[in-house]
Amino acid sequence: MFKSNQIQRPQLVLVVDDQEINRDALGVILEGKYEVIYACDGKEALEKIDEHIDELAMVMLDLMMPEMNGYEVLEYMRENDRMRHLPVIVLTADKDAELKALQLGAADFITKPFDLHEVVLARVGRIIELSEGRKLISAAEHDKLTMLYNRNFFFEYANRLYNYHPELHLDAIVMNIEQFHSVNALNGRDFGDDVLRIIGNEIRAFLAETQGIASRFDADRFDIYCVYNGDYRDLFDRFQQKVNSISPNVSIHLRMGVKPWREKVEPVLMFDRARAACNMVRGNYQKPLMIYDEDMRMGELLNQRLLNDLKSAVKDRQLKVFYQPKYNIQCDPPKLSSAEALIRWDHPELGMISPGAFIPLFEGNGLISVVDNFVWHEAAKQVAEWRDKYNYTVPVSVNISRNDVFDTTLIDRLKELVEENGLDFSHIKLEITESAYTENTKQLVDVIEGLRNLGFEIEMDDFGSGYSSLNMLSSMPIDVLKMDMKFIRNIETNETDRRLVQMVLDIAKYLKVPVVAEGVETENQLEILRQADCDLVQGYYFSRPLPPEGFEELIKREITIERN
Amino acid sequence: MNLQELYAAIDGDYTHAAKVLRMDKLIDKHIRKLPGNNVVSGLVEAGRAMDATAIFENAHAMKGVCSNLGLTKLAEAATLLSDEFRPGTPRELTDSEVAEKIDEIEAQFNKTIDVIEQYASS
Repeated sequence: MFKSNQIQRPQLVLVVDDQEINRDALGVILEGKYEVIYACDGKEALEKIDEHIDELAMVMLDLMMPEMNGYEVLEYMRENDRMRHLPVIVLTADKDAELKALQLGAADFITKPFDLHEVVLARVGRIIELSEGRKLISAAEHDKLTMLYNRNFFFEYANRLYNYHPELHLDAIVMNIEQFHSVNALNGRDFGDDVLRIIGNEIRAFLAETQGIASRFDADRFDIYCVYNGDYRDLFDRFQQKVNSISPNVSIHLRMGVKPWREKVEPVLMFDRARAACNMVRGNYQKPLMIYDEDMRMGELLNQRLLNDLKSAVKDRQLKVFYQPKYNIQCDPPKLSSAEALIRWDHPELGMISPGAFIPLFEGNGLISVVDNFVWHEAAKQVAEWRDKYNYTVPVSVNISRNDVFDTTLIDRLKELVEENGLDFSHIKLEITESAYTENTKQLVDVIEGLRNLGFEIEMDDFGSGYSSLNMLSSMPIDVLKMDMKFIRNIETNETDRRLVQMVLDIAKYLKVPVVAEGVETENQLEILRQADCDLVQGYYFSRPLPPEGFEELIKREITIERN
Repeated sequence: MNLQELYAAIDGDYTHAAKVLRMDKLIDKHIRKLPGNNVVSGLVEAGRAMDATAIFENAHAMKGVCSNLGLTKLAEAATLLSDEFRPGTPRELTDSEVAEKIDEIEAQFNKTIDVIEQYASS
């Protein structure tokens, strides 16, 4: 393995002195270790620096020279962006000159005559080493594309500002580019890089007007930690206008989340909140700016509470499974066909929590599998209990989340569940949401095929909620289609919706797949669906989701009807 | 005449020159170039005009050259003048004393050059 000091670029040193003897005196010292070039005065020195800026490791500069003296060279270099960081050792016999040279940016000085060669070499070596080290730090510190800080350095500096400058009230801003991968894919990587560079430049221009630091956190995310007393809408517009000017043919949309300073909160938490705000406006081109507020904070606290409480909710049986019936409406009277198991959380302090409040949360972090597993077991036990109690079997459908599909033990676990409760595979139906069908299709199809081979029926849930394609319907292994309730909502009043429902039913019939219409609430809706040859219906018209004891009444009623 | 004999003849410090320039080849090169170096003539001219800036610049340059070559006496004389005329430093010598010093330098320099020319032609 190479050590880092073995992987050095060639080191070129420029010696600038009007006296040839001085140039030679330094040359004999340096030439064994460095590549050396020479200049006779300040003007020639600047030309050589400009020409060799990428190879030069340092400049050794005499101060007293005709034409352009060493001080003038130092001043010029200090004002020049390319030359500013090139280290300079001044050559002087004059002690008084040292301070002025150091103030002008010289890294060190060496006094003439150069009789102590080892001292000269050691000082040159040390200055080059320091400068190379600084370059490496700078490369690690900054994102090369935008020249903003990299993530780790940014948070280190943000923490320092937070800890050592409490008088600064710094806001956290997170900015993203909508669909940046598409911008890259459609216009090329170089164009994408230009966009990032231009945003970086504008952020640096903004920071030049205020106090703060910024980072390209990753691909297209920018973090800014700054003092800002203006209107954030104006700041957002400033950046959006900048990207609008990049190309008249390309639309680039930014989104921004802000956590304003309110009290002393650590930077990492400030940026978590700004990021949460930024994520909330993802894809919302009408409202691309979100300021993190008290409601969001309360929401986050609630989420955290729910995540923490899930374990005890399962253990203490705070989670309850409710059952909503599905009726076959082609019979007269409609016949109880099956039920859907739905989760409810009766929290000891927060009361009944809507599934809408916790299911998306748990889906986001994988904990949904815990909930699903609980529902599967409860539902299977319940089906067995009703069968034993009433000699009547109500098949129950349960949800399979995207997470579950990737669990390699899924098939075995479901098989075991059915067998443990002495059920038939057809007694447990599996609902898989439509959106899952669009990702990792191959794996999903394999899992579904495995489950169907055992005898499980697969229902595609939420059909029509956003991702369906006719192609998918014909190619995916599906036993039942559950039509999303938004189709049904307006069928009484909206001719287009009614025709859409009819079309879905016709296609399903053609594919020989029965359809469950969800969200049926009125007799009118029921009648329209019956006329349209819809097989099954679920919704408040028949019953809201019921606890097991409530559902038993429906079973008893069904048994009575059958007996009569 | 070899280099060491030259240094003995001009009362120079060969050891110092060898320490700075490391190689006889380089000492030889710059010794031979000294007669053509205009720092002393520039100093003499500046002294005649009593041009403080020019005296300082030439004395400063001469100090460097002579010091590297181990021409100790010339280097010391140049140091005295460059310190005397350093910008921002109060003068200690009178103009006539300065003129006297420059004359001494010129004489010393000419004597040194004579020997160097003998060396160069040997």
